[in-house]
Amino acid sequence: MKQGNPKNITRRAFVGAAVAATAVASTATFAQGAPIKIGLSIAQTGGLGAGGKAALLGLQMWRDDVNAKGGILGRKVELIVYDDQSNPATTPGIYTKLLDVDKVDLLIAPYGTNPTAPIMPLVKQRGLLLMGNFSFEVNERIQHDMWFNNAPWNDSVTWFSGFMEMGMKRGAKTIAFLAADAEFSQSLATGAKNLAKHNGLKTVYDQKYPPNTNEFSSMIRSIKASKPDVVFIASYPSESVAIVRAVNEIGVGSTVKLIGGGMVGLQFGPIMESLGSQLNGFVNYTSYAPEKTVEFPGLKDFLSRYAVKAKVEKVDPLGFYLPPFNYAIGQMLEAAIVATKGLDQKALAKYMRDTEHKTIVGPIKYQRNGEWANARVMMVQFTGLKDKDMEQFRQPGKQVILSPAPYKSGELKFPYEKARN
Amino acid sequence: MSGKMSSMGGNNRIFVGGCIAVVLAAIALMTGVRTDYVFNASYVVLQFIVLASAWNILGGYAGYVNFGTSAFFAMGGYTALFMIKMFNAPLLVQIIAAACCTGVLGLGIGLISLRLRGIFFSIATVAVAIVLETVILNTDYFGGAKGLQMMRPEPIAPFTSYDTMLFFVMVLMAISAVAISRYIEQSWIGRGLRAIKDNEEAAECVGVPTLKLKLIATVVSGALMGAAGAPLVMYMRFIEPVSAFSLNYSVSALAMPIIGGTSSWIGPVIGALLLGSVQQIVTVTISSELNVLIVGVLLVFFVVVAPDGILGLVRKLRTKNSAKGDAKGGAQ
Repeated sequence: MKQGNPKNITRRAFVGAAVAATAVASTATFAQGAPIKIGLSIAQTGGLGAGGKAALLGLQMWRDDVNAKGGILGRKVELIVYDDQSNPATTPGIYTKLLDVDKVDLLIAPYGTNPTAPIMPLVKQRGLLLMGNFSFEVNERIQHDMWFNNAPWNDSVTWFSGFMEMGMKRGAKTIAFLAADAEFSQSLATGAKNLAKHNGLKTVYDQKYPPNTNEFSSMIRSIKASKPDVVFIASYPSESVAIVRAVNEIGVGSTVKLIGGGMVGLQFGPIMESLGSQLNGFVNYTSYAPEKTVEFPGLKDFLSRYAVKAKVEKVDPLGFYLPPFNYAIGQMLEAAIVATKGLDQKALAKYMRDTEHKTIVGPIKYQRNGEWANARVMMVQFTGLKDKDMEQFRQPGKQVILSPAPYKSGELKFPYEKARN
Repeated sequence: MSGKMSSMGGNNRIFVGGCIAVVLAAIALMTGVRTDYVFNASYVVLQFIVLASAWNILGGYAGYVNFGTSAFFAMGGYTALFMIKMFNAPLLVQIIAAACCTGVLGLGIGLISLRLRGIFFSIATVAVAIVLETVILNTDYFGGAKGLQMMRPEPIAPFTSYDTMLFFVMVLMAISAVAISRYIEQSWIGRGLRAIKDNEEAAECVGVPTLKLKLIATVVSGALMGAAGAPLVMYMRFIEPVSAFSLNYSVSALAMPIIGGTSSWIGPVIGALLLGSVQQIVTVTISSELNVLIVGVLLVFFVVVAPDGILGLVRKLRTKNSAKGDAKGGAQ
């Protein structure tokens, strides 16, 4: 049997003790500064997947920035993320796991209205703060007072009013509606119809279509035949692409002063690039356009850093629509935790409600229902676009902001048939 | 004959004992586990046991492939919503109403589409799902395309949370569905349905009441699917047509019996436990994206390698082993 040298044993024991002491010390430090866990589900697959991936990158950039500064209150930030497949049926299970198994400190809602809807009763019943992620009127029924949406809108009236005012100013008397038979587009279309009726616009065409329709020629021909002054479209990405192509092919007639409004997808770089010049003349909503009238501290820096990462991650290279607003969620949470010096949900919610938040997407103040007090849905007109050129969308003058007034960067070109050329 | 009878009696006793054991295990789980997530995930797996067992009554025993599971499931959910909105009905009443409503729907579909066979019957069931989804999409009372959010009421004593209550209800529903499926398999109904599956004309010629049996199968299968969908509103706290009528329910309800084995009541249970659990684990570990891939790959694998499912595979292996044993015995 080999006997050890007593001197060596002492040295080994010393080294062992040192290692153990270091391990104990580091464990203690870790326990003191245990990470702040923020949980969310966000679509990485399904209909909302493309937007969800870009949005998540924005949030991850905030996490990396915060952690590079040493975290919040000395604690690193950890994101716990699951893919909800754009399917609301998956979110109750995921959020229950986030709360009960992962023991997250804070919650961010899934991207989109439908995946968020099942979470609202859950957070209300448990009295939890929930940061919204581009959902629409999802708190209308539940009225949870700890809900704060990052999307720059509040209701369908404020959304549609800018679009309709433009039409009214140009003497519009008639309107056509084309909307997908799905939650967001129907909510939008319902609000738009009410406002149009209130303002005396006569509806000459009103058509719903099943989601994922890709053949619109008959509907566009019917719109053309009804000779409207304004055409309001509420559609989802694949349908928006098909509608733009159909309108370019068939035309909508010389009476149409403006067309567009609520077309989801025309904010995403790859779709904008693929449509190129076919977008010219369309007027549509967005959350940000690189016009000189829109200058928020930190936004340009964020977008230039995002562009580098987006190339690596192979997500929307422009990232105008969702990523900055996801970064803003992080900024608001960070400010609230620092100000309240903790993670008490009620204190955080009170701070959220009472404060005007400084973010890279501009100041955000919330109204009672957790939506923006000063809605800022930008209506932009695509002009002077060429085909197959992604970089052109980073230049001013390609998405001219028509409303709201403080950010206006140009005048509406109309009628549409003239504006498209 | 009497030997067979006593063996069936023995099997029944084992089955009843198994059911009691499952209920006791569920009660132990509810008293021992404090995280709602366990009940949430288990609820989904149990829900698939009901759907798979229900699908197998028509698809497995009678050979009529139903692609419209989502239609029955969603109608169950919307019937429950109607009962809540109209009468503020408790969960049990919602489930009974959903089962009745979808049973009648099953009867209707049976009368209309059982004149169709094979792929034409399957297409008709898809059409029913599309028609019903369109109706719901355009009915404002049910929230239309926007759907409706619901606040859960307080759980009924002795349950401490609504999640545990839903879990226990689904345990009972799964046991009932499996028991019904087992009864049908072993009774004259199951024998008749198997005769229909083998050769419908021949069955009719020898006096099997084919239409009557097919109607029983569609009604029972539909009622069970609807009952499984009834608690959906309170499970999700929300219902909207696109996810309620999702094709995923139809595909999973079909894939689970095929993977487990369609010839016996235990096949859908094995398939649902296996596939449902894997789906739940994958969703929160690797990626939800893999869910669909897993279902697809397993389905292709079993259709090609083991068309009779896990049950068939086990039977094949047993036969092989016993043949080997016989050969060895002979050699000795």
